[in-house]
Amino acid sequence: MVAGRVTLHSALAIVVVWSVLPLLWTFQTSIKFTRDVAAREPVLWGYDTTAAAYRAYWFDDQSTNMWQVLMVVVLSTLIVGGLLMVARRMRRPAYLNTLAIAAIVATLVYVDMRWETSDQFEFFINSIIVTAATICVSISIGLLGGYGLARYSGKSGAVILISALAFRALPRFAFVLPFFIIAKSLGLLDSRAIIVLALVAVNQPFTIWMLRTFFLEVPKELEEAAMMDGATRLQAFVRVVIPTMKPGIIATSLFTLLLAYNEFLFVRVLAPTNWTLPVGIVALAGGESSKGITEAAAAAISITLPIVIVIIMFQKHLVKGLGSGAVKG
Amino acid sequence: MNRRAFTGFVLPSVSVMTFLMVIPLVTTVWLSTTDLFLRDLSSAPFVGLKNYREVLSDPNFWSATRFTLFFVGVTVPLEMVLGLIFALLLDRVGRFRSVYLAAMLLPFIVTPVVGTLLFRNLFSRGGLVSWLIELVTGNLFVVDASNVRFLIMLHAVWHVTPFAFVAIFAGLQTLPQERIEAASMDGARFFDTFLHVTLPHLKSVLFFVAIISIMDSYRVFDSVFVFAGNRFDNSHTLSVYNSVEALDAKIGRLGKGHAIAILTIVGIFAALIPFLVRSYKEQIADRT
Repeated sequence: MVAGRVTLHSALAIVVVWSVLPLLWTFQTSIKFTRDVAAREPVLWGYDTTAAAYRAYWFDDQSTNMWQVLMVVVLSTLIVGGLLMVARRMRRPAYLNTLAIAAIVATLVYVDMRWETSDQFEFFINSIIVTAATICVSISIGLLGGYGLARYSGKSGAVILISALAFRALPRFAFVLPFFIIAKSLGLLDSRAIIVLALVAVNQPFTIWMLRTFFLEVPKELEEAAMMDGATRLQAFVRVVIPTMKPGIIATSLFTLLLAYNEFLFVRVLAPTNWTLPVGIVALAGGESSKGITEAAAAAISITLPIVIVIIMFQKHLVKGLGSGAVKG
Repeated sequence: MNRRAFTGFVLPSVSVMTFLMVIPLVTTVWLSTTDLFLRDLSSAPFVGLKNYREVLSDPNFWSATRFTLFFVGVTVPLEMVLGLIFALLLDRVGRFRSVYLAAMLLPFIVTPVVGTLLFRNLFSRGGLVSWLIELVTGNLFVVDASNVRFLIMLHAVWHVTPFAFVAIFAGLQTLPQERIEAASMDGARFFDTFLHVTLPHLKSVLFFVAIISIMDSYRVFDSVFVFAGNRFDNSHTLSVYNSVEALDAKIGRLGKGHAIAILTIVGIFAALIPFLVRSYKEQIADRT
């Protein structure tokens, strides 16, 4: 059995290298000096490191002390992470979660005021706002829709579900050009609202399918009992059903987060200047110069880190979401 | 739940889908029959099927169609097989499971345009992989029109495999251990158990993964745009071809762009209609 276990772990190690190597390579590019990046033969060990690429990416002022920035970021991550960890163990964690969000906002405001930040920092703020708004709107209406579709047994429910599935298959270009024309004529081009609206729309089919499957697992007796006690269906839904849906809401939010944070095409078409991070990095990485390469590498790592931290924190929910949420439909 | 309550609950969701998906779709059909240009949105003269005739006789359209189908045909099966292997491996491991899981999930989380840049870094001059290729073959490795398709597909497999893997892995967790044990008591080998117990259990998961991956691969845009956008015309997919014609070319031809979008939609639905009909019947059957 020992031999079998060694084989198993070696195989998994290969899989891990395949998954992680591209990111590691770019990380070490991002902390190198340009002279080492430009070398024909890659410098693998013992090179000098620098945060210059990160400084160039995030700040306009090139004398910014990156140690101070790092300290602020690490401190803030620890505070937010700590608050969320404690919140997980509490029965009523609402105010701790609010505190964590306040800490994130405070950090961003502090960094923006303390140092001279670049355009990319603006794009980062845009990314956060667009992602958060998309999750809130998408999940709110998705919860209502998903619940209705889980509990109603009429034929029109099936029609809506299958139409949603068909919408899920449509390419972005089925919407993006009309959106562009409508946004332009309404003067909404370059606004965050139009991007959120577009993302909520394309995400809605997936959201209602996934949430519906989670609702199917909630026993009907739960809300029926509440309604016997005189609550209306909406009250029963809000007070009794929603609190049991936490795993489903988190899982669906994570997928929405990935969709909104990673979106490239909609932002590129609907926002000529007011970009989010993915469009920002593509504009930045167009050049092939060595200096450009380190900055693009720093950008890639900077964009990836926040979302990786969030997903790893909620990793179990993601797996559960794909396991029970989407599949049984 | 009665019909009135149902209508109330689904109304927000259904109106979002109607206003933001159905109406744009109808607009797309309408504008595909007009000669609309990006620089002047005020005039959209009706030209009938002219745009469609033009697209269908455009060699770039057929080249994009061929590459899109090739892309789907190669990457989706690869992603599913790799995802299945990864899931079976992780399922047998007890220690460090969540560490492995986190590492294996990573490519799925990385923003597609960022992932594309990661691969470009590995394969560009001074990159790790291009250097290794040079060591082994002795030839200089340069990303060019002949190998950019390979890079695009390699990135796609890297990016999408974790999705297949996680879904299959989650499916494996619901497989009752007794069934595996019963099979091995009967003297079944690992491969027989896999073929007769595990695989049938995963049937619906695999079907779900296949459908979602086909939908997503068919409309792939981000990575192809970054890799091949304005450098390698021969490696455009339908979405990138659509973008080039409608938005990026000097004269943004929105009319033609809409016609391409409609033809792309026709393509995916030609493949998906049997599946949609089947799902509809299942839904109806569940209700009676």
